[in-house]
Amino acid sequence: MKNPFARYLIQKMVWYLLAFLIAITLNFILPRLIPGNPVAVIVNQMATGGVQSDVLERLYSTYMKEFGLDKPLYVQYFEYLKNIFRWNLGTSFMLYPGKVNDLLGRALPWTIALQVPAILTGWIIGNLLGAFSAYKGGRFDSVVFTTSLVFSNIPYYCLAIILLYLLGVRFTIFPVGGGYSFGSTPTLSWRFISDALYHYILPYSSMVLVALGGQAIGMREMSIYELTSDYVNYSRNLGVRDERIIRYVFRNAMLPQVTGLAISFGTMMGGALVTESVFSYPGVGSLLFTAIRQTDYPLIQGCTIVITVAVLLANFLVEIAYGFIDPRIRAVQLGER
Amino acid sequence: MKRVLLTGLILIVVFSLLGSVALAQGTLPREETLYIAGMQWGPPTSFNPLAPNPAWPVNRGQHLLIYETLFAYNLLTGKLDPLIAESYSWKGYDLTIKLRKGAKWQDGTPLTAKDVVYSFQLGKKYSLYLSSIWDFITDIKAKDDLTVTMTLNKDKPHKARVETFLGQIFIIPEHIWTKIDTGQKALLEYPNTEPVGSGPYKLLSYSPEQIVLQRDDNYWGIPYYGKPAPKYVVHPIFKSNDAGNLAFERGEVDFSQQFCPEIWKMWEVKKLPVGTWYKKAPYHIPASIPSLYINIHKKPLDNPLVRRALAYAINYPKIAETAMSRYSPTAQSSLIIPVGVPEKKYFNQEDVDKYGWKYDPQKAIDILEKQLKAKKGSDGIYVLPDGTRLGPFTAECPYGWTDWMTSLEVVAESARAVGIDIRTQYPDAPVWNDHRNTGNFDLLMNTPAGGYTPAHPWLRFYEVMEIKGVPPIGQVAYWNFERYSNKKVSSLLDAAAKITDETKLATIYRELDRIFMKDIPIIPLEYRPWHFYEYNETYWTGFPNEDNPAASPLHTAQGIKIFYIIKPKK
Repeated sequence: MKNPFARYLIQKMVWYLLAFLIAITLNFILPRLIPGNPVAVIVNQMATGGVQSDVLERLYSTYMKEFGLDKPLYVQYFEYLKNIFRWNLGTSFMLYPGKVNDLLGRALPWTIALQVPAILTGWIIGNLLGAFSAYKGGRFDSVVFTTSLVFSNIPYYCLAIILLYLLGVRFTIFPVGGGYSFGSTPTLSWRFISDALYHYILPYSSMVLVALGGQAIGMREMSIYELTSDYVNYSRNLGVRDERIIRYVFRNAMLPQVTGLAISFGTMMGGALVTESVFSYPGVGSLLFTAIRQTDYPLIQGCTIVITVAVLLANFLVEIAYGFIDPRIRAVQLGER
Repeated sequence: MKRVLLTGLILIVVFSLLGSVALAQGTLPREETLYIAGMQWGPPTSFNPLAPNPAWPVNRGQHLLIYETLFAYNLLTGKLDPLIAESYSWKGYDLTIKLRKGAKWQDGTPLTAKDVVYSFQLGKKYSLYLSSIWDFITDIKAKDDLTVTMTLNKDKPHKARVETFLGQIFIIPEHIWTKIDTGQKALLEYPNTEPVGSGPYKLLSYSPEQIVLQRDDNYWGIPYYGKPAPKYVVHPIFKSNDAGNLAFERGEVDFSQQFCPEIWKMWEVKKLPVGTWYKKAPYHIPASIPSLYINIHKKPLDNPLVRRALAYAINYPKIAETAMSRYSPTAQSSLIIPVGVPEKKYFNQEDVDKYGWKYDPQKAIDILEKQLKAKKGSDGIYVLPDGTRLGPFTAECPYGWTDWMTSLEVVAESARAVGIDIRTQYPDAPVWNDHRNTGNFDLLMNTPAGGYTPAHPWLRFYEVMEIKGVPPIGQVAYWNFERYSNKKVSSLLDAAAKITDETKLATIYRELDRIFMKDIPIIPLEYRPWHFYEYNETYWTGFPNEDNPAASPLHTAQGIKIFYIIKPKK
């Protein structure tokens, strides 16, 4: 191939496709390793009242057939693969006859609308703060450093619960949970949007605080390291202007931070689990949580596939982005080294 | 760039704060809306009463807002109250049911005996939640538009169990469902998002966050029952119990069925207009007996004396106080609930004192040392003369059922204090379910025959001690998980099934309970109400309670009357 970058891109894509295939296979196998039979649970709910065994057995086999669990595992697997490539994630057991596609489709916007802005805000402010305090030093630095240390080291769920207790329960400034007030229906009216934003503030700020702390510390360390490096000293001796040096420092210190951002995006759904549970917020996290607790195979698979795709996509984009940020990596990508 | 971003952020925050100040609580008028909680946890996907797991208020448990049953079970009398039907009568093996005149579906079509027959017969044609009634009846017919007759199965002539179904089976409109009925799969899969029932409410909207019902002002029952007070009923779907309890405390939820620890503090300490059925402990009417199931086929638990020692060792008062947050009287050694109308008449305190047990660690030690001749090892655990150590036994219940987890911790702690080694284990619910059904456990917590039916307490004895129809350990059973077997019990149960006379029944139950106390297949740990009946009168008042027993303390069954009794607070 002529274009070395295109070759690099295709090479990467093949690897990612392979990773995807392995991941979806695991997605199929792992939920089935959870002990316990989801159909028995459903039948059991109907068994209250001492129903005769033979009736329940009939119900049991009806649902096993209905959910396709009576077929051998390899048949189920190929069915599953076939359906994935048609982007059909199947029918949920517990929320039968709800389609996993629909359930995810309704949950995803909430998760993305909460997580992406929160991660980005935390990342941007955190990095600026870190770089600035490294450069500035002194009292400002120590204040920023300690607070960041505190915020990044409190387990997230603790911080979330503390915020919820203080601002939601003790001083009832914010609602204690939910995506919007009950009784209102999602519409594109100002009233609904402002209500949704009001419910948004608490979970959003809790996530920003945590992300901000971690990012600020990372950026500060990196910047201090860069500030004492040879090229900075050399540039200073050469009489290069301060702003220019900071720009160099920022760009160099940035690199690991970009990886950090990608990882945050990748693990976004996992983080969503805690946020959404604590703040009773709608989204994929809480969906996954209920699905796992009830061994709802199709729904677990659906959620984990979304996560898989998110992680892979984030990594892929970062790898591409690296090339633009760092000439050294671009050289590798282009096969110049 | 920085500046633009920052300004944008500040603007968003300021805007939303301003918005929130200007915002009223939702868009439904608060004074016409009743908020209810604790009956729906996942996103609603189906309002099909035949589906395996439909959403509130079509799910199982006798919610009577959209679809109705023939009768509504009254927890205060233990009897069935009229709903679609006005009365029923037995003549030999034949049951005659009279329907109310003027019953209609929400689309205006009359509800007749043919709809009732159709609804019941679907359970014969397919495997559905109601199919088990066909174990007890052989035939159902519409005599005329207002009369339904059923014939009892002469092999299982148990009237109370048939009556149970009259309060449980939803009547569905034949003219709608015949169009959907193209086979079992089609019937189960139909999401029924615009349900047409006969009840006083219609489904207005639903989302993963809430389900909204609107009153049907053309409800057929208005001449009989009046009009329910709330124009809207909303069930917000909380992600956790805590979130729901917080909303309840803040008055955002009026009527809750969630386990809410130390609820009395809401009125005693916080002075909130919150109430339960009783003002004092146990606050709720006990309705079921969460118990410790024992593997009675595994050494040394197969020895009734070992079980008896364990029964004496468990600190029941502590379970009631801590695990059940005082919502349970101290458990007695009986399969009959000693409090509340439906069963109290059968409870025999004399027998319980004479043949039963209570928390008495010294007595447990006496049994172990004197009767079993067990010796205490250096680790504080008894060893039987044949070398069998009393434990470690695993006691399990589903993870996250915090009240049960605490109960088991008390069991383990008090057993260890006596010298029996019990360790707790909390798998996810499906695993527990699997262990329970296959009999693969040492000790396991479970409720026999939960909820009340006209067939209680018979059904509880049946589910604990009847071996007929129960497959051996390893295969899936749906009751008698410990596989207790006793021919005498089976014949007593059969005899009781045919009797309706209360004094004769009392004699049989007394005998069954004595057998239970002698053989100890399970150990009752606590009592649990059918529903946690909790109301917050910030917006709606007049909820029934002990002083005003106008309706059953339930969100379902005869508790439907509550919707008619309450009034908006002026």
